[in-house]
Amino acid sequence: MSESMRAPVGQDQAEDATIRLASVSVRYRVPRERMASLKEYTIRWIQRRVQYVDFWALEEIDLAVERGEIFGVVGPNGAGKSTLLRVLATLSTPSSGSVRVAGTDPRQDPTPIRRAVGFIAHSPLLYPELTARENLRFYGDLYGVPDAAARSDALLERVELDTRRNDRVRTFSRGMRQRLAIARALLHRPRVLLLDEPHAGLDPHAVDILDGLLAEVRTDHTFVMVTHSLERGLQWATQVIVLAAGEVAYAAPVVGEGGVAQPGAVAPDEMAAACRRAMGGGPEGAC
Amino acid sequence: MARRQFLAILRKDLLTELRTRETLLAMFLFAVLALVVFHYAFDPRGTLDMTPYAGGMLWVVFLFAALLGLNRSFAQEKDEGCLDGLLASPVDRVVVFAAKACANLLFLALVQLLVVPLFTLFFVQHGYAGHAGGIALVVLLADAGIAVLGTLLATLAVNTRARDLLLPIVFLPLVVPLLVAATTATTAIIAEGAGLGAIGGRLLFLGAYDVVFLVAAYGTYDYLLGE
Amino acid sequence: MDASVWRRLLSAPALLAEAAVLLLGGFLLAFWYAPTDASSMGFSQKIFYFHTPIAECALVAYAVAFVAGVLYLRHQDAKYDRLGLAAVRLGLVFSLLVMGTGMIWGKAAWGTWWAWEPRLTTFLIACVLYAAYFVVRSTVEDEGRRATFAAVYAIIAFVDVPITFFATRYLPEGLHPVVFTSSGTGMAGSMLVAFLVSMAGMTLLLAGLIRLDVHVQELRLELEEFKRSLERGPL
Repeated sequence: MSESMRAPVGQDQAEDATIRLASVSVRYRVPRERMASLKEYTIRWIQRRVQYVDFWALEEIDLAVERGEIFGVVGPNGAGKSTLLRVLATLSTPSSGSVRVAGTDPRQDPTPIRRAVGFIAHSPLLYPELTARENLRFYGDLYGVPDAAARSDALLERVELDTRRNDRVRTFSRGMRQRLAIARALLHRPRVLLLDEPHAGLDPHAVDILDGLLAEVRTDHTFVMVTHSLERGLQWATQVIVLAAGEVAYAAPVVGEGGVAQPGAVAPDEMAAACRRAMGGGPEGAC
Repeated sequence: MARRQFLAILRKDLLTELRTRETLLAMFLFAVLALVVFHYAFDPRGTLDMTPYAGGMLWVVFLFAALLGLNRSFAQEKDEGCLDGLLASPVDRVVVFAAKACANLLFLALVQLLVVPLFTLFFVQHGYAGHAGGIALVVLLADAGIAVLGTLLATLAVNTRARDLLLPIVFLPLVVPLLVAATTATTAIIAEGAGLGAIGGRLLFLGAYDVVFLVAAYGTYDYLLGE
Repeated sequence: MDASVWRRLLSAPALLAEAAVLLLGGFLLAFWYAPTDASSMGFSQKIFYFHTPIAECALVAYAVAFVAGVLYLRHQDAKYDRLGLAAVRLGLVFSLLVMGTGMIWGKAAWGTWWAWEPRLTTFLIACVLYAAYFVVRSTVEDEGRRATFAAVYAIIAFVDVPITFFATRYLPEGLHPVVFTSSGTGMAGSMLVAFLVSMAGMTLLLAGLIRLDVHVQELRLELEEFKRSLERGPL
């Protein structure tokens, strides 16, 4: 079972599961209603046009993730974590900077990246009127998975949804949808997995299933996991980055498994403390 | 691979619609009501022969029913946030367009199939002077144009703030040439019994219209769905 | 003449000045040099010297918007978006003028304010079409996306204009006099001169106004940038 979960071994390019970001910024210009003060009343009629403000979702992000690493991203809401994942999934184009995922630049050809990347987003990305099986079949066709039918069945069994395979997703609970979403993300054997708070909304049993799956596919894969919970992030991560207001507030490798220290690696409690410091003593739940 | 993706998206759209039947029902009901309103608007006492105006009325009904259906193209993806799932996959954006346009075409054709008999019953007192097959050809070519242009514009509209409201504003002016050709051809067949020869020019025009906007869609669709 | 001289000749104020000269010349030629039309239209035909150049300039403006749209999609440079906006704005203004002068001419020559003939109808559709361009722009908040959608729309709309014209030609030709036929112009030499002068003047007017519009847009952007930097506080 676990054999089929691994990515196929191919030539070097096909095996590339690294991520490189250099000075990546994402800027939006959004309108803001102009509020003229009384002093400016006389020129208000000229200024009645809506003004635009710059919103830097991400600002000058540098990061490098090697194959086999699990990269944790933590930070408060609105820090830009989801934007970062979207850039990696080629759903957003950065305003500046260079991106290389799985050895390719998305601006030149996003298709190989899309093939290599599995994305678990905030919403499960499932079609409510289709059954679990039909949803998986749809994504199998989209990604050109050769043994889609067999693999979907195997995955459905693995996430313990095979009894509900012919039920419409509309009838699924949040936890069930998330489990199906995980199956969907793993269907095409991606080398890089992007996970946006995958444990959110899962009951303990579902969390176990997810953790089991992640442990199985750990080797040979690269993960970028966004999480609200630092404990969860530290449990898995080999490198942790703290994002706050679009910038990197803190980044460090984590003490490896079995207590093997990497250069510059940091023990979990120290990491947690540094994290809180970096966020200026923000709300407890965020770190 | 593209074919597999195309069929997958098409199948998904068809399955979803056939299971809920929301849009189809709305389109059909709207068409029927429009026919009723036309009767009371133009011929309340039922004394006039509406055959010369048959083509025009029919296409107005089709056009507005089509607008209802076109809005649906991306509604689901937008509501459920599934658009990301589609865009994060290695599918070529043009394949997405082709599949959505095909789905819209099929839905429109289905509704038309149900509406035409009713329409004949209500307004065409003396039967069709010309061949019904000619009308089928006109409908086919015009539907293709509506599907192509409509899907293209629906993609644009659904990504704006105004969503459903924007589509008629941008769609109707652009579809006028198609409307002119389709209505004149249809009326020619119904009222004057024109054969293929007489409407050949208009059929050619409809075909050219379809091709032109297909090319335009092919060239610009990547940009519409990108970010 | 070297590059800097050309640049000065082609700047907005220069263009407008040149346009003014040519238009004045065209006006004088039209009323004092060219003979009165021999056909039933008589004196009212004189409006042709302005109506037709305005019409052709509107189409040129839409063509510019088309090219600007294509260039924007290729290069993603905001200056093409500004050019497209200016071109559509002016194209719309010129189209409204075409409708206005066309209706005046119609009333004078044929006694009716409106006729459903190909050219007037096409311009009516064009007015609606390009008015919708501004609606599209107003419904998108994100700059980049707004420019992309506007570019795509400008491309589609321009493609539709000749199609609309051919479509409305299926209906009977109607009252609009055909001046330029394939067998050469139906105008006497002196009329042609007046017409060409007017045409040149109108085109320069269009070019000057477009440049002015783009310049104003750029100034506005600078102003916003400046206000923003003020808000960020003193250094």
